[in-house]
Amino acid sequence: MERELTNFIRALRMADVRVSTAETLDAMNTLELVGYRDREFLKHSLSLVLPKTADEKETFDRCFDEFFTFEELSGERDSTEADTQGEAGEDADGEGGEGSGGQRPPGEPASGRKKKSKAKKPNNLYEEEPEEDLGPGEMSEASGALSQLLMSNSKVDLTVAMAKAGEAIGVRDIKIFTQKGLYTRRIMDEMGLADLNQEISTLREAPSVPSRRLGQELKRRRDWLREQVRDYVERQFLLNADVSGRKLREELLRKVKLSNVEHRNFRLIQEMVFKMAKKLTTMHSRRKKVFKKGALNVPRTLRHNMSYDGAIFDLHWKSVKIDRPKVFAICDVSGSVATYARFMLMFLYSLDEVMPKVRSFAFSSDLAEVTDLFNRNKIEDAIAKVLRDYAGGSTDYGQAFKDFRKLCMDDVDNRTTIIILGDARNNYGEANAEILKEMYDRSKRVIWLNPESRVSWNTGDSEMRKYGAYSHQVDECNSLMHLERVVGNLLKQTT
Amino acid sequence: MADVNAIAASVESLKQHFEQHNYICSDQIATAVYLAFHLNKPILIEGPPGVGKTELAKTTAEMFALPMIRLQCYEGLDEAKAIYEWKYGKQLLYTQVLKEALDEVLDGAKGFTQSVKRLHEFGDIFFSEEFLEPRPLMKALQEDDGCVLLIDEIDKSDHEFESMLLEILSDFQISIPEIGTIKANKEPPMVFLTSNNTREISDALKRRCLHLYIPFPDIDLEQRIIHARVPEVPEELRRQMVEFIHELRGLDLKKVPAISETIDWARTLLLLHTESLEPKLVKDTLNVILKFQEDIENVEAELTSITNKIRK
Repeated sequence: MERELTNFIRALRMADVRVSTAETLDAMNTLELVGYRDREFLKHSLSLVLPKTADEKETFDRCFDEFFTFEELSGERDSTEADTQGEAGEDADGEGGEGSGGQRPPGEPASGRKKKSKAKKPNNLYEEEPEEDLGPGEMSEASGALSQLLMSNSKVDLTVAMAKAGEAIGVRDIKIFTQKGLYTRRIMDEMGLADLNQEISTLREAPSVPSRRLGQELKRRRDWLREQVRDYVERQFLLNADVSGRKLREELLRKVKLSNVEHRNFRLIQEMVFKMAKKLTTMHSRRKKVFKKGALNVPRTLRHNMSYDGAIFDLHWKSVKIDRPKVFAICDVSGSVATYARFMLMFLYSLDEVMPKVRSFAFSSDLAEVTDLFNRNKIEDAIAKVLRDYAGGSTDYGQAFKDFRKLCMDDVDNRTTIIILGDARNNYGEANAEILKEMYDRSKRVIWLNPESRVSWNTGDSEMRKYGAYSHQVDECNSLMHLERVVGNLLKQTT
Repeated sequence: MADVNAIAASVESLKQHFEQHNYICSDQIATAVYLAFHLNKPILIEGPPGVGKTELAKTTAEMFALPMIRLQCYEGLDEAKAIYEWKYGKQLLYTQVLKEALDEVLDGAKGFTQSVKRLHEFGDIFFSEEFLEPRPLMKALQEDDGCVLLIDEIDKSDHEFESMLLEILSDFQISIPEIGTIKANKEPPMVFLTSNNTREISDALKRRCLHLYIPFPDIDLEQRIIHARVPEVPEELRRQMVEFIHELRGLDLKKVPAISETIDWARTLLLLHTESLEPKLVKDTLNVILKFQEDIENVEAELTSITNKIRK
């Protein structure tokens, strides 16, 4: 079972739950304390030890359900199935006698019998011989290891055996779903399928009724086990292969151009943006504490100098936090750049924990402040609204800068960082670069992010050269990776 | 003193005892206390404000009949306020009083080296436990029969303080440079930490704790909680109230009402001798459950539709 636990932890790690070695040890101790007979109890207990955030708990619940499922081998199900089988047998008997071995009347043609039995039990395709009706009654003892396990009705032991077999043949290496059949077969073999088959066929030939009854029962349980193993392999596939596939996909998505991201991947990208934002948040929340030495902290100084007989020579200062700088984000949301703007805004607003106050502006021809939208709505809704209201219309940077000057040039001061996201394609309109110069002079930094690749800057109607001159930093920014780097740098400088 | 081990024998018994102390808890919560008790691990409790995080620690202390020591965290909390401080006043006073005694000690000593040598013979009297002022964390370690230590709103404290906690949380001991290591007495304290998630708690701290997330309860559980806390509220009103609150939690509000607000509301309605939720009455008492004017305005707009839905 310990092996199974470490495998489970491995699956958790694959699913992005961080589990340290110390926590693994805790989980072992917990397991020892609670045992694994009560599934819910175990789940609750482990969910206290392993996942450490609310999000991780959700992932944990899903993983646990997938990992530790095992269909009930309950008496109820057994009896109903036995009933239907019994009935089938009876009917067949009434219609002309059906059964194995000597009970069959010799005159009956074999083909007709087969047809009939198939019609009766379409599910049992691999069943070659029809079941004889032995009725309920005592069964003889099973002799083989696997058959004893099957008859013992202990699903926990069976799970353990199955997991062991899976471990032995390396089921976790499964990579593509077409391998499922292969691995199922291998696990069954490992668990001792050959012996079991042997035993079943011997039992079925056996003269005594209890033995034959056992043979039937074992056969039924073998089929049931096969299904369980198939499910198990399926889960292993989902837990291992699928997740690594996802990792691969995420890795690719980080590098792909944002405008090429297919719509179906939007959700995933969004998740990734939040994840990256979270990473940056934890990295920078530590650095937030920048203290400035200010006035003398009298009580503290006195207290600390008491031990020096009241002679005040170890001075303590009041620490003052530098107040937060401001970030203005100006985004071109016209058709070609809209996708980038979407992710950029998403990124900035996901960082609100460490990010200084962000004010955002959107434009295609006219510029307007959209900060309020973000404050009142969820990020996704706000972005959708911005794109709906401000996209469309041909791009006019000159007009947008004019609007910006009118709107809030006064708010730009030497603690302000201005980020402009746009391709600088001005449709041959007036560039109004002097306004950008004014912004450049007044602010701490102007960062221009251009989603086009560097080669195509300054071609056609692009005004990148003019605008670039009045920016402290010009960057190409068209993938999540770029975005992460830019925002990371931004945080380093602003906080 | 209550038989601690008997109470903590199983999750079921814990649940029952919690219920006797008017704290209705889910399996998850009872399991957390069970594990914390048997594995001697601190519990880090997270969840939205007002779901009974602090209450859980208080009730546990009550249930086990242990003293509770509470440390409220805030920005700037440091070890002088959390662990220990030297009694500087007492030290100063004693040195003054003992000046003459010192003279005697030093009597006849020749030269600086000899005097210092004599002083050394007396050891570090002024830095012994006599002069140590224990603060909550150290007090908790010194309790003989164990206690419940509640470190409230750990997310409000600084990172440095968090790191300082690591020693006490994993080994139940504190190192003081002048004295050495102080270990917990026989029974280590049961430690509860609560956090409102205003910032991420560091992984190092999380690793040392069990992590319990208390979400808002479902309708059934919340009704039972109200029943336990405000038993006088008639059943029909209770159902309507809880359903109303759950509707509110589905809305887009700045601060959604928590259990504590539901309880306050129940008391308010009781005071007003209410039988069932009338839109007018709800409108008048909205300020009990909603704490932002903006939220109140938003809810007022949809009030009739919600009350109709609840009264069916």
